[in-house]
Amino acid sequence: MKLVVAVIKPHKLDEVKEALRDVGVQGLTTSDVEGFGRQRGHTEVYRGAEYQVDFVPKVKVEVLVDDADAQGVVDAITKAARTGKIGDGKIWVLPVEQVVRIRTGERGPDAL
Amino acid sequence: MTGALPGTAAGRGREPPAPVARLLGQLRALDRACSPGHHGRWSARRRAELVDRCLRELFDAAGPPPGVALAALGGYGRGELAPASDLDLLIVHRGRAEDLRSLAERLLYPLWDAGFSVGHALRTPDECLAFAAGRLDAATSMLDARFLAGDLLVFDEAHRLVRGWLREDPRGFAARLVEDAREREERAGATSRVLEPDLKEGRGGLRDLHALTWVARVAFDGDLGALVGFGLLRDREREALEDAWEFLTRARSAIHLETGRRSDRLLLELQPAVAGAMGFVDEPGLTGPDGLMRAVFEHARQVEHVGGAVLDRFLAGDQLVVGAEVEPTPAGVLRALADLAAGSAPPAPGFLDAVERADVPDPVPWDGEVRDAFLRLLRTGEGAAAALGALDRMGLLVRYLPEWAPVRCRPQRDPYHRSPVDVHLLDTLAGAARLLEDEDEDDPVVREARRLVPDRDGLLLGALFHDAGKVGLGGHVAAGVRQARSALDRMGLPPASRDLALFLVEHHLLLSDTATRRDLEDDDLVLDVAARVGDQGRLAALYLLTVADARATGPAAWTPWRRTLVRELVAKVQHVLERGEMGPELAERLAGRAAAIRGLLAGEDPRDVERFLERVPRGYLAAVAPERAAAHFRLLRGPLGATEVRTLVEPGARPGTHALTVVAPDRPGLLSWIAGALALAGLSILTAQVFTTEDGVAVDLFEVEGAFEPEIDEARWRSFRRSLRRAIEGRLDLADLVEQRRRHYPRPKAEIPVRVSVDNGASDFFTVVEVGAADRLGLLFDVTRTLAELGLDVHLAKVATYGARVVDAFYVRDVLGRKLEDPDAIAALERALAERLA
Repeated sequence: MKLVVAVIKPHKLDEVKEALRDVGVQGLTTSDVEGFGRQRGHTEVYRGAEYQVDFVPKVKVEVLVDDADAQGVVDAITKAARTGKIGDGKIWVLPVEQVVRIRTGERGPDAL
Repeated sequence: MTGALPGTAAGRGREPPAPVARLLGQLRALDRACSPGHHGRWSARRRAELVDRCLRELFDAAGPPPGVALAALGGYGRGELAPASDLDLLIVHRGRAEDLRSLAERLLYPLWDAGFSVGHALRTPDECLAFAAGRLDAATSMLDARFLAGDLLVFDEAHRLVRGWLREDPRGFAARLVEDAREREERAGATSRVLEPDLKEGRGGLRDLHALTWVARVAFDGDLGALVGFGLLRDREREALEDAWEFLTRARSAIHLETGRRSDRLLLELQPAVAGAMGFVDEPGLTGPDGLMRAVFEHARQVEHVGGAVLDRFLAGDQLVVGAEVEPTPAGVLRALADLAAGSAPPAPGFLDAVERADVPDPVPWDGEVRDAFLRLLRTGEGAAAALGALDRMGLLVRYLPEWAPVRCRPQRDPYHRSPVDVHLLDTLAGAARLLEDEDEDDPVVREARRLVPDRDGLLLGALFHDAGKVGLGGHVAAGVRQARSALDRMGLPPASRDLALFLVEHHLLLSDTATRRDLEDDDLVLDVAARVGDQGRLAALYLLTVADARATGPAAWTPWRRTLVRELVAKVQHVLERGEMGPELAERLAGRAAAIRGLLAGEDPRDVERFLERVPRGYLAAVAPERAAAHFRLLRGPLGATEVRTLVEPGARPGTHALTVVAPDRPGLLSWIAGALALAGLSILTAQVFTTEDGVAVDLFEVEGAFEPEIDEARWRSFRRSLRRAIEGRLDLADLVEQRRRHYPRPKAEIPVRVSVDNGASDFFTVVEVGAADRLGLLFDVTRTLAELGLDVHLAKVATYGARVVDAFYVRDVLGRKLEDPDAIAALERALAERLA
C-alpha cells in the first residue's frame, strides 16, 4: 500500500477531487497547509503598508491506495492540479506498513 | 463512572430486597407516567421522594447505631433527581468510619445490585466542614444536604457548621461561584450557544441556577424569592429563571431516558429524538431539532444573563448604578442604553425595570429621533452589541427590528460557526467596531483599510445585518439583502450608510470565497472582483467585515492560511482600483459592452454567448467594439486545429486601412510570426492589440495598411496566410526572409534613439516592457521575436505609430507565469532589444 501526498494550489482542490473520483479513489484527507518551495515568500503592499508573506497557502491531499493504483493516482493529480505556472505544488509517495479500518478491524488492502 | 438508569444493569443474580423491588416498580411507573419529554421538576421531585422512602426503610432495617444520620447530597439533596442521576449519600457520624462499613454496605449493596449509581461518604461534622472548606463543590453539596433518616442532631450539626462557615463571607462565596462559572464555561462551553450544549455544567445551564439558590441560601437563608425580596432579582427575571429551570430539567431527563445513561450533553444525534419527545415539530424555515435548540438557547441565555447579573449586583453591593433616568419612549430607551454602553458599570435592576416599563410599541415606528438614537448606540461598538443583546433578552429588540425575529437563537449547523445566528451578528458588530478603533490591531491591512472606510455607520450596519438572511430557507445572501433592505429603509438612513450596508450584506462572502476557491494569478478574476466592489472605500469596508465576520465565527474560520489568501486578493484588487484599471465607470462600460454584444447576438444560443463573454479577457471587452466582438464570436466558434489560423478582414478606422483579426491557438512566438508574415506580405502594422482567451486561444487585432499601395488584393492576404501557416508549422524561416527583404530598403533617416523600459510596478500579473524606436519594415517582428527568444509570453500588446516613431508596450510573463523581476534578466532583455533594433 502507498500513501500519496500532494500539495496543491487551493483553487485546484475541486478539480483534483473530481479527477480522483474518476480514477476510483474512495476517500481522501485534505488539510489547509502553509509552506514554501522554490516559490518562496514575498512582500505584499496595500496602500503603502508592506507586509511579508513568508508562507504560501496550499492544500494538502492525502490518499491511501493499493500499490497498483499509486501511479494512476499520481498521474490524475498531476493532470488536474497543473496550471504550468510556478507554485503548482508537489506530489510524493510513501510506503505504508499497515492500514486498519477502525470500525470493522479490517486490515491491509481490505481496509482501503 | 457514568450512571445508568436503575434496573437496567445486569443484575447479580440476587433478588432485591422488598423496598428496592418496590422502588424499581415505582420508578418504572413514573417514567411511563408521561412522555419522555415531559419529566420536569415535578417528576424529579417525585423521583427523589420515592428514593427517600426506600432509603429510609433500608437504613432502619440495617439497624444503625445511635448518633448516625443518613442525608442526601447534591441534586438528590435538592430533591431533584433526573432519571439516571447519581444518588449522592452522606452518612454523618461521631465515631470511627470503620465501625460503619457494614452499615454502609447493607445500605448500598442492594442499590448497586439494582443498577443504581450511588456515591457515598462517611464523615463526622468536623470532617464535613474541613471538606467543604477545601472544595467548593463539597461546600455547595453540603448546602443542598437534606436529612433522610437517623439522628437529626448530628446532621444538623454538620449542616450548621458548613453554613455558618460560608455565612462568614457571603461575597467571597459568590466570587468563588463566579470563578467556577468561568471555569465551567471553559470546560463545558456555553449552553446558550454551542451546538452540543451541556445542559447541566455549561454556562447558562442548570448549574448556574443552582448557584443562585446557593447564594440565596448563604446570604439570605432563602430561595429565589429571597433574591427578589432583597432587590437582586426582578420578578420578570425570576419567572424567566423558573421557566428555564423547568425546560432544562425536561430536556435533561429526556436525554437520560433516550440514552439510558447519565449524560447531560445534548449531542447532535440525540436532538431529533429529544425534539420529538418534547413536541418540537418541523415548521417552515425551522426544523424540529432547530426549534429545540432555539428553545434551549433562549432559556440558557436568560439563565446566563440573569444569573450573571444577580451575582454582579450582589458583588457590587452599594456601588450599583442606581436607576439611571430612562425617558419612556423608543428613542429614550436607545439613548439610555447608549449612555450605559459608553460607561462600564453594570446597570442596576431598576434601570432594566425602567426600560421595560417604557412605552415601546410593537413594531416601533421609526422617526428621525429613533434613528439618531439607534446610530448613537451603534457607534458605541462593543457596548452596542451588549446593549442590543440586553434589549433582546427583554423581548424588545424585535419591536425595533422585526427582521431580528427569525435569526434569534437560530442554531447554525456547520463546522465553522460556534454561535447561533443572532449572537454571531452581534459579535460581528462588536468585532467590526473594534477593527475601526483598536490601536493594538496587528494586521497592517486592517490599520490602513480603516482609514478608507467611507461611512462607519454603513460598516456597522452591514456587520449587524450581514447574515440576516439565515432564516432557514436557503440562499442566505439574497434573503439577507431583502431583510436588510426592509430594516434599513424603515430606519430612514442617509443613502451613503444605507447603500454601503446593503453592498456589504450582498457581498460579505465575496472576498473569502474568491480568495480560497479561485486562481488569484488570474488577472481577469481580479478585475471582475474590482468591478463588483467598485471603489477603494468599499473594498476596505468589505475587508474589515470579512475579518470581523471570520473572527466572530470561530477560531477555525480566520486562520493565517485564509488571511494570507484574502489579503493577497485585497491587495491585488486595491492595485487595480488605484491604477484605474477598473472602477465604477469602467465596470459600467464593460457591462454596457457585454449587453450590446448580447443584443447583437440575440439570434445565437444565449449559453454560447455567455461562454464567449467569459472566455475573452476584460481588456478585450474594453478595447474591442461590440460589432467587431460579435464578428469574433463567429470566428471563435468551433474547435480550433493545432496549426489552424482563422482570419477576418474588415475596413479599418481610416480610408486605406484594414482591420485584421487573427485567431490561432496561442503559443510562444505566435505574435512574432504574425508580424513577420505581415511584413513579408508588404503590410505595415499601425496598431496591434493581442489578447488570449481563458482557454488559450490568441485573438490578435491589427490595424494594417499596404506598405506600397492602398489597395490590398486577395493575393496579398493569401500570401500572408500561407506564410503564417508555414511559419507555425516550422517550415519557413521568417527571420531570414524578412532580413533579405529589408536589405532592399534604405534605413530610416531620422535619428530616433531606441528606448527600452521595463516596469514591474504597473501590474500585479505582468511586467510591462515599453519599446520606442524608429518605424521600419518588420519592427514589431523584431521586437516580438526577441521577447519570444527570451522565453517571454506576450499577454497584451499595444502598438502605436506616431509618424516615424513607434511606441510599443508589451505585457509579458515568463514561461512559468512569473513577472520578470531578476535584475540580470531585465538587463539581458534590455540589451537584446537594443542590439536587435540598433
